[in-house]
Amino acid sequence: MKKLFLPVYFFTLFLFVIFSYLFTDQNLSYFHNIYTGFATNSRTIATMTYVIFVLLFFVFYYLILKYQKSINIKKLILLTSGILFLTYPAILSYDIFNYIATSKVLFFYRENPYILMPIEFVGDPLLIFTRAVNKVALYGPVWIKITGISFILGFDNYVLTLFNFKLLVILFYLGTIFLVSKISKNMKSVFLFALSPLIIMETLVSSHNDIVMMFFALLSFYFLIKKRIFLSLIFIIASILIKYSTIFLFPVFIYIILKTIRKESINWERVFFISALSMMLIFFLSFLREEIYPWYAIWFLVFSYLIPQRRNLLYLSNAISFGLLLSYAPFMFSGTYSGSTPLLKIILIFLPVLCLYLYLAVDRKFKFSKKLGTIKIS
Amino acid sequence: MKNLRWVLFLFLLVNLSSVRVFAQSDYVLPYPSQMPGNKFYTINQVIEKISYFWYFGNFGKTYYYQKLSDKYLVEAKTLFEYKQYLLAYKSLLKSNRYFEKIYPYLLSAKKEGKDIFEKQKILKEASRKHIEELEKLKNNIPDKFEWTPEKDSPTNLNLWTTIDTSIAIRSKTL
Repeated sequence: MKKLFLPVYFFTLFLFVIFSYLFTDQNLSYFHNIYTGFATNSRTIATMTYVIFVLLFFVFYYLILKYQKSINIKKLILLTSGILFLTYPAILSYDIFNYIATSKVLFFYRENPYILMPIEFVGDPLLIFTRAVNKVALYGPVWIKITGISFILGFDNYVLTLFNFKLLVILFYLGTIFLVSKISKNMKSVFLFALSPLIIMETLVSSHNDIVMMFFALLSFYFLIKKRIFLSLIFIIASILIKYSTIFLFPVFIYIILKTIRKESINWERVFFISALSMMLIFFLSFLREEIYPWYAIWFLVFSYLIPQRRNLLYLSNAISFGLLLSYAPFMFSGTYSGSTPLLKIILIFLPVLCLYLYLAVDRKFKFSKKLGTIKIS
Repeated sequence: MKNLRWVLFLFLLVNLSSVRVFAQSDYVLPYPSQMPGNKFYTINQVIEKISYFWYFGNFGKTYYYQKLSDKYLVEAKTLFEYKQYLLAYKSLLKSNRYFEKIYPYLLSAKKEGKDIFEKQKILKEASRKHIEELEKLKNNIPDKFEWTPEKDSPTNLNLWTTIDTSIAIRSKTL
């Protein structure tokens, strides 16, 4: 079993790469030769296949965690990253196109993306397939500056630029894994984080910038642990200036700085627990702004996996991850964001959490009655 | 035949008695901001100067000058209504100065290969709106005005000439 499942895992990843290209956009002229229209013409098959992939990824996640001691983590991460680097990035979200459009406003047109929307550059070929062209830049200036590297190295070739953006996000994913290992000093955390199906999907496939934001947040915590307050301040600000959400870590951050200045001991497990909870709270409140997007889970997953000893948090994080990845299915199936899709999405997000807590409650009751039985016998 | 005459008469009556309104611009001017004398007025001006750097790029600069030109036109209009002719006159000159800077930036954008058709359309709309407001203003203010401050020498303001110049500046873009 141990020897068999890893080749099957890699083979599944390869199949997922092929599957991802069935979702290429009709208007994406650069991929016109490989456009099949499968995802829109055969919605039922596409959705079922996607759900099977999600289930498989979670099975592999379980197996990897179970046999982690006999697995070469570095090879596993590099191979997973390398294979998924080849995926079509807009199978689940079109954000990568928005990142490129924003970057183009600044680095190609040399205009301020906070004032000008991509749609104002009439005739630009990316207007046909980019979704948020009628919005000014949504992300912080640090993110836009960082994307300049990928954009400029794209040499005006869209496909090259697209994969440069994917590579950039993968590099930050690898950097975050490094920081997780440095901070937690626990291989279980590294396995939990690096191979989490949600992290993999949203980072290696969809290339969301949330991982970049969390990289800087973790880097800031890393320097806090090392008591280098100035550097940690710079990096937390950098993190905030990527996607703003980590501003909710600031109170935790100030608390640690005060403790450090007073030379009081810091319970880092508690710090990460509170950080996970505060980011989870913001994640759940994100529906007030727009809706709960699956990639927002990266905000708290990073902290949850740093403290795997907090079992309930870990189970909750994984249950939410599972639900979030399944929540893509209603749109994939119906092709619309309206109708029953929003409700189905919410049900799918929270159903695994509900199942988990029912299971835990039953399990606890069972253990408790077993304990009572043991007491009675003795 | 008699009916036809009545129809013709009514047609002429309606057309001659009504005020001829040329196609008005849909362009919307901003609300009046703080007026001179307000304690936030100077702060606003400082922000304006700093935001020059925020509006970089040729399209950015077009936005910047368009915004300021609109702002000072509204300011001038409000001040004229309150008969603050000297301040109004200065605001109008400012609006003119900013307006004149818009088109060269659009031309630079064109040289960079940017499609300026939509922006040019907006500029024309803005020009029409400005002209519309300036014509209305001209009807409500004196031709010339001597502004005499309490402890200063008087200033002669050629208000109509200034408004005509302002209209001419905007007409160039039409």
